[in-house]
Formats: sequence, structure tokens, C-alpha cells
Amino acid sequence: MTTADLAPLVGAAAIGDPQEGVPLALYLVVSGGLFLLGLLGVLTRRNPLLLFLAVELLLNSANLALVGFSRYWNVTDGHVFALVVMVVAAAEVVIGLGLVVAVFRQRLALDVDQMSSMKG
Amino acid sequence: MSSLNVVASTPLLITAGAATAAFTAGLLPGRTVRRHGPALVGIAGIVAAMVMSVVLWDDRLEAFGGGLRADRFSALMNLIFLSAALLTILLAWREPAAVDRRGEYVGLILVSATGMMLVAGAGDLITIFLGIEVLSVSLYVLCALEVWREKSLEGGLKYLITGAVGAAVLLYGLTLLFGATGSTQLSEIGAQLRGTSFTDEPLVIAAMVLIAAGLAFKASAAPFHMWTPDVYEGAPTTVTAFMATATKAAAFAAFLRIFSGVMPDLQADWSIAIGALAVASIAVGNIAALVQTNMKRMLAYSSVAQAGYLLIGVAVGSIQGAEATLYYLLAYGAMTMAAFAIVIIREREVEDGDMLGALEGYGRARPVLGAVMTVAMLSLAGFPPLSGFIGKFLLFGSALEADMAWLAVAGAVGSMISLGYYLRVVTVMWAPGPEGGPRKVLAVPGPVGLATVGAGLGVIVISLMASPLLDACRGAAQSLLAP
Repeated sequence: MTTADLAPLVGAAAIGDPQEGVPLALYLVVSGGLFLLGLLGVLTRRNPLLLFLAVELLLNSANLALVGFSRYWNVTDGHVFALVVMVVAAAEVVIGLGLVVAVFRQRLALDVDQMSSMKG
Repeated sequence: MSSLNVVASTPLLITAGAATAAFTAGLLPGRTVRRHGPALVGIAGIVAAMVMSVVLWDDRLEAFGGGLRADRFSALMNLIFLSAALLTILLAWREPAAVDRRGEYVGLILVSATGMMLVAGAGDLITIFLGIEVLSVSLYVLCALEVWREKSLEGGLKYLITGAVGAAVLLYGLTLLFGATGSTQLSEIGAQLRGTSFTDEPLVIAAMVLIAAGLAFKASAAPFHMWTPDVYEGAPTTVTAFMATATKAAAFAAFLRIFSGVMPDLQADWSIAIGALAVASIAVGNIAALVQTNMKRMLAYSSVAQAGYLLIGVAVGSIQGAEATLYYLLAYGAMTMAAFAIVIIREREVEDGDMLGALEGYGRARPVLGAVMTVAMLSLAGFPPLSGFIGKFLLFGSALEADMAWLAVAGAVGSMISLGYYLRVVTVMWAPGPEGGPRKVLAVPGPVGLATVGAGLGVIVISLMASPLLDACRGAAQSLLAP
């Protein structure tokens, strides 16, 4: 798929001049690809650690898009947002790893398919 | 652009400060200080923040360069979050999950409430995301607070994974909204989107879908509700009560801020998506609740159905719709809190206290608690003089007025199905019960009884004071939709 094919998707202006460095559309393609990979990971992986990895992929795909958009509009808001997202992602992973350690200490299986003590 | 204006953020700062003080009080030497200090500090902070929210009622302020707003909408939502936090702390008096971690318990509840206030007062996409994450991350910890209990850990991990995916989907939606408009300021985005339609803006369509899905995770609306029953059952019941009332209110604050507040001109397009979420939630929640025997799971599915009723008001998009949603949030908070309070009390008396069977004959042994549960259930089912009926009447009425009769019909059918499980609880409560009354009845600690009766009276007061409260809700809705 060339950048010209994406013009109807993101608006002709978004493709930009080839002289101006990487066009926005390519940022969005990579970011969208990462997001889909992350979603696929969340849906297929069963180990909590790999699930966190997939969530990281989702958050970082958004970061890439934020930075790309921020450059396109020539504002810094997106950069600030991306920094905030990084801090939040770190906090989430800390809690997640803490929970995984607690599960491990209780000698429960690290597999979300086997976590089914509650049903209904 | 306004400058740093701390006055607008005082309710938030007070709550965050009280959280820090509660964390510290939990570490002080002296057993009595450690045991009662955090709760007392927390209650003092909550009351101070409530007073500040009421003081700020008539103002329209912006803090931190427009990132945070103090208007009637945020003040009303703050009062809902803070009341829920207050009742939770009272209900958690002598909570077994928090025996030697009282500071953490109270502190995390307050941090979570701070995140919710950040969402309700958001004037910026960054603030919305930050608020959602602050409230969620502290709830992940609270859910897994009983680390020695398998169900609590399992619930915490499940909530963390689904919550993180929901937040990431929401974030991608916010990113696309920023990409389509070039600003993270809600007022700026609103100005950019004025007079446009979705057909010219493919990015906004994708953003709308992702934001709705992400927030539906937080509001536990179908089809994004699958975590709700497990997490509600696994978490300590006081935490479940807080999640069911305050977190849901925060998610709806975000729905109203983003959809009604920022994209009013696109209402014709997004109302169909939100309406579909509403109908799915009403159907799934009510039907699944019919077969539950565990009270916490039944209330979880009931909360999915209630999220569906609340979404009707969001989908309508008018001032009437927002007003009805806000009033129903108040009523829903009081009646859900009252229902959970009875479960909390019964759970401390018998091992299987969260099962419906444990309540058999409980109303005859404990008439006051029985009356509270009866009022809560009748109100949830929507019986006429009670606040649940007034709220549903307004929600369905606003749907009819906006020519969305299909939403009102779905809501009415759902309410009829819901009689099946709400009334079953009432009959079980007042049934003759086993010989010699229900097993094991313990004295209720003062603060727990106070919170239980307070929540029950709250349902009645919200019904009786409907007209002044509706004026307040209308003011909040107007401040939300004003440009």
C-alpha cells in the first residue's frame, strides 16, 4: 500500500511533502499495526506476563500515533500526552507484576484460563 | 487561556492530601491511632472536600491552563464520589480485609476518589486519561487487598488485565480525537468539531467508536461487561460497593463530558452507537441476573443492566437526557450502596453470607436491615414513589421526546424482567426462614449501621426531594452543554 492509497483515509493534506521527512500516514500505519498486534496478543495469550506485554504494545502504539500527530499539527500537546502515558503505563505494570508475584506465592497457576474459581 | 488557578482544584487537592495523611496515619506508632486514625482523617478530608465542592457550586473556574474545570457538573459529580467514599469508609469499619492495613485501605479509596474527580472536572484529554488511570490503578490494588484469598487475587488480576485493555482502547480513541483536531483541550476540540458531521471526518468516527468501547469497559456496559461478575464477587465487598457506585458514576461523567460536551453536533451519529450499547446492556444484564444465586453476582449483573438505563440518557444527548442521567446516578448510588451494605453485614456473620440463601428470614430477625434492603430492591426495580422510578421515568421520557422510542421500549421491557430477581430478594428476606430464625446474628458496629441506614434513607430522601435535586441536576447539565 503506498501513501497515496491512504489519502482518502487520513485526508490528502496528511500525506505531506516527501521532502518533509516521514509522512504522517506511515506513522499511523505502523501505529495501527502495533495496536492490532497488541489486540491479537490480548486475545490469544494466556500467561498474565505476556498479557501485560500485549497491553504495553497497545499503549505504545497510541504513543507513536500521539507523537506523529503532534509533529503533523506542530504542537507539543501530543508529546506531553505521550510522556504522561509512559508514567501511567509504568505504574500499571508495577501493580501488575506485584499481583503476579502474589499469585505465584499462593502457588496458583499463572494461566488465566485456569483462573475460574468463580462462575455464573 | 487561564493561568494556574488553584481555587478550582481545592476539592481535589484536599482529597489527595487526606489520602497522604491517611497513608501516614496507618504507619504511626500506637495501636488505637493506627486503627482509627486513617478512617477519621479520611472522613475529615471528605467532609472538607464536600464543603468546598458546594462552595464552588456557582462558579465556573478553570485551573492549570484549562486542564481542570470547576463548574456545576463537576461539583455535583464530586458530591456523588465523595458520598460513596464516605459510606465505603464507614462500611469498612472493622473490615477484615483491612485489619492491619487500614491506612492503605482508606488512602487508596481517597486516591481513587481523586481520580474520579479529575475525570468529572476534566477540561483536557490528558486529564480524562490520567483520571481514569488514577482511579483504576488504586482499585486494582483494593480488589486484591485480601492477598491470602484466592478469589480476591483472581478478581484483582482479571480487573487489571481487562481494565488495562479498556484504558488502552480509550487512549487510542483519545489519540485519534487529538489527531483529527490538533488539540487536547476539550473546548478547542468542541470548537473544531462544531458544524461538522462524521462523514467528513473518518478519524473522528474511529475515535468515537474506540472511546465508547473504552469507557464501556469502565462502566461495565455489555458487551464489555464480562469482567464484572467475577471482579464484583472476588473483591472485598466494601470495595465492590465503591466500584459499583463511584466508578460507574466516573465512567458516566467521562461519557457526558466527551460525547454531550464536546460533540453535540454529531449527536445524530453517536447516539446510535451508545443506544446499541444501552440495549445490549439492558438485555444481557437483566437476563443473566435472573439465574444468579450469589448476591454479589446478582448485583453485578443488575449493575450492568442499570448501566444500560443510564446510557439511554447519554444517547439522547439533550439537556433533559443529561439531567435524567445525573439524577439516576444519584438514586442508583444510594440504592446500590444500601443493597451492598446488607450483604456486607451478613457476610461478616456467616461464611456464605453473600449467597441469597443466607438472607432467608433475615428481615424478620432484623426488621430495620430488612426494610433497608426492601427499599433498595423496590427502588432498583423502579416501584412508583421511589427514586428509581422517578429516574427511569425521566430517562425513558427523554428518549421518547428525542424520537428514540426504541430505547424507552427496551428499558421498559428490561425493567419488567428485572422484577423477577429484585422481588425474589424481598420475598426471601421476609420469608419465615429456618426454624429458630437465621443462623448466627451478630451486633452491627455503629458506623456500619449508620452507613446502612443512611444509604436506605438516602433512597427515600432522593425521592422526596426530587424537585430541588432535579433543579441541581439541570444546572449541572446546562453547565456541561454550554459552549
